[in-house]
Amino acid sequence: MSAVAGYAAPATGGSGRGTAIGLLLVVLGWELAARALVGAFVLAAPSQVLAWLIENRGLMGRALAETLGNAAAGFVLGNLAALALAGIALAFPASQRIVTGVALVVFCLPLVATGPILRVIFGPGDGPQIVLAALAVYYTTLIPLLVGMRAAPATWFDLIASYGRGRVSALIHVRLMASLPYLFAGLQIAAPAAFLGAMVGEFTGAERGMGVLTIRAMRALDVEMTWALATVATAVAVAAYLAVGAIARRVLQDAPPIILAPPRAEGAEAGIGRLLLSLAGVAVAILVLWWGAIAVFDLNPFFAKGPQDVARALIWAPNAAMARASLGAALGETAVFLLPGYLAGLAAGAGLAILFVLAPAVAGTAMPLAIALRSVPIVTTAPLIVLLLGRGALGTIVLVAVMVFFPTLVACIHGLKQAPGQVIDVFDSYAAGRLQRLIRVRIPAMLPAFFAAARMGVPASVLAVTVVEWLATGAGLGSMMAISASVSDYNLLWSAVALTAALSALGYAGVGLIEVRILRIYAPEQLT
Amino acid sequence: MAPEINGPPGVICAGLAKTWPGGVDAVRPTDIQFAAGQTTALVGASGCGKSTLLRMIAGLETPSAGTIEIGGEPPAQTLRKAGLSVAFQDPSLLPWRSVRGNIELALSLARRPVDRAAIDQLIALVGLEGFADTRPAQLSGGMRQRAAIARALATEPRLLLLDEPFGAVDELTRQQLAQDLPRLWEARGTTTILVTHSVTEAVMLSDRVIVLSPRPAEVVADIAIDLPRPRAPEDARKPGFAAHVDAVFAALSQAGALRDRPLAAQ
Ligand SMILES: Nc1ncnc2c1ncn2[C@@H]1O[C@H](COP(=O)(O)OP(=O)(O)O)[C@@H](O)[C@H]1O
Ligand SMILES: [Mg+2]
Repeated sequence: MSAVAGYAAPATGGSGRGTAIGLLLVVLGWELAARALVGAFVLAAPSQVLAWLIENRGLMGRALAETLGNAAAGFVLGNLAALALAGIALAFPASQRIVTGVALVVFCLPLVATGPILRVIFGPGDGPQIVLAALAVYYTTLIPLLVGMRAAPATWFDLIASYGRGRVSALIHVRLMASLPYLFAGLQIAAPAAFLGAMVGEFTGAERGMGVLTIRAMRALDVEMTWALATVATAVAVAAYLAVGAIARRVLQDAPPIILAPPRAEGAEAGIGRLLLSLAGVAVAILVLWWGAIAVFDLNPFFAKGPQDVARALIWAPNAAMARASLGAALGETAVFLLPGYLAGLAAGAGLAILFVLAPAVAGTAMPLAIALRSVPIVTTAPLIVLLLGRGALGTIVLVAVMVFFPTLVACIHGLKQAPGQVIDVFDSYAAGRLQRLIRVRIPAMLPAFFAAARMGVPASVLAVTVVEWLATGAGLGSMMAISASVSDYNLLWSAVALTAALSALGYAGVGLIEVRILRIYAPEQLT
Repeated sequence: MAPEINGPPGVICAGLAKTWPGGVDAVRPTDIQFAAGQTTALVGASGCGKSTLLRMIAGLETPSAGTIEIGGEPPAQTLRKAGLSVAFQDPSLLPWRSVRGNIELALSLARRPVDRAAIDQLIALVGLEGFADTRPAQLSGGMRQRAAIARALATEPRLLLLDEPFGAVDELTRQQLAQDLPRLWEARGTTTILVTHSVTEAVMLSDRVIVLSPRPAEVVADIAIDLPRPRAPEDARKPGFAAHVDAVFAALSQAGALRDRPLAAQ
């Protein structure tokens, strides 16, 4: 198993001044832009945001407390679930592929549809927000944990065995300690993600919280309020990210590794046969869980549709052809926004990373900012992008691109730094130019990180596009899920959910396949 | 043979063999006896199967055939009583524990009482005074190796297994370690098996040198080193010592072990 991970120490240490300057420039640029665009009613200046926040501090404080509470509960639940799943994968190594596969598919469930479904199950209250927050975090904790549990050299386990001790001692003295840095890396990404999950949960019929205010601000076209909410959400996300990082540094005496992506599936080389086998295993496990959950929780068959209902609705029901056609049309609309945004985000992230390497002075200032911005729940800024760019294609595509851009940038910069120093020395000894070095050494070294980001970008961009469609554009799968939920067409809703999750997970796996093929040519040593 | 309780155990390997899954023969069926209380060196070319042999004795690897008895008991039994210690080529210190913490961990894994004063004394003995509370990352390679030896000795094992314990450091440090540390286990009368690919080191430290053939390992010579102890580094130039070194080299080259990897430079 291999994973893309590394230590963030150089990026976070010693460049506090660069970050401060960068932040100052951003705020300044924002203020100036707002003054320039004052008649357009799209951009509120930082000074106006501040004024709004002071004026409405009571309202804002209550909403923030509510959302923070839900996010915290979801954070705890989601991470406990991740720990439990990691425990299962560790106790039964053969189950790891199934566990991670099922975890991925569940992670790919479109929050905009699980929100309304959970709302029906839980009724009014905090349940859906908390569950969505948990769903948003558990995968990003599970994967680093699985990597970390195995990130210890074999001799450490030999040492334990040579004193006649077994797996329990190895777990306590080696695995848990060795996985701590990875756990913190996961928690660091999870903290802002929990906030995002809670907010999306509040979009769907909650009574209180930041998500509710966001919807209200959007409906009222209240520019200042929209910007104030996005600013607070961003600040909270960055603060949560930094806080977990600070705790990690105290506990570990080292910055946590940047976990860029899950490990490639073990034996990605093993061939199509094994791949199909594990795919089938995951599919069976999903179907069993789906059926089981409906049966165990005794859910009302009126809205809780099982796999057989979805199959009927799409295949042999009298109006199946119509359902297929409308799903297909929605899928087409979504793809038109999703694919350009996804590709643009990847290209911009990788391209800017390469520019940074060619101009290292810029990277010193920009990197800490990019790492912090990676944690911003971009989706919560969706209303801003709608305000700025309108409800058309451009706004959606930009949002998807931004969602993919930051993780890609951070991953690629990190990957570019991984180029082995000795190889670079060899190139220097031939007086090879910067460009040569970039093409022959650094870019191949960047590829694993790039693909790791590209894989994680799939569910992220699906989340982004469905949220915007559902909040704003009224087109595509996101909007279809919203409409079918509101008219109680649960067959269509569940079909859309199943289709979205399956395509998202398959897209993730597909990027993984391309990754193996390309790495085999350009970076074969990365596949061992 | 009744299990011995007090003295160091002898180790008897009978028909011991290891074939890795995939068909690599690492150790050919071999009979070897390691005398109680002696230091025996295993030398052979890199990759010949020395570590595999040692790991089977340590109970970390199951033999494909044959048996091992440590003081009349199988290795699993000895492990259960934490009766042996292994020092690996890589010091394998846990990075989140200090030198003291690593030694304490070994003691608690071996279910021995943790005696702070005794640990301090041991740390001083291996030459790490003042570094008890330092983490491995802040130690030099030689110091880490010293810490690993201290950990291996802390549980007072009756059988000590050393797999190229000075292999991961530079030559000067290696000589220094080879001079400082063996005294510690020699003084305790432990049964010691030392894997090394340095012939001089093998002759300097052992009562007996067993020369193994290239893979699959097989005993090609069994040379008693009846030189007086304690031995000093200068002894290496004395004729008696040189004769033993020559004998080991002769056995190695006869076995063909020198064909692909000359050892003379070591
Ligand atoms: N875990 C293992 N699985 C398969 N082959 C192994 C394993 N460990 C060692 N080998 C092989 O067994 C042979 C002997 O290895 P080893 O005992 O480590 O040699 P030495 O310690 O003498 O250098 C080598 O060819 C090595 O590749
Ligand atoms: Mg070896």
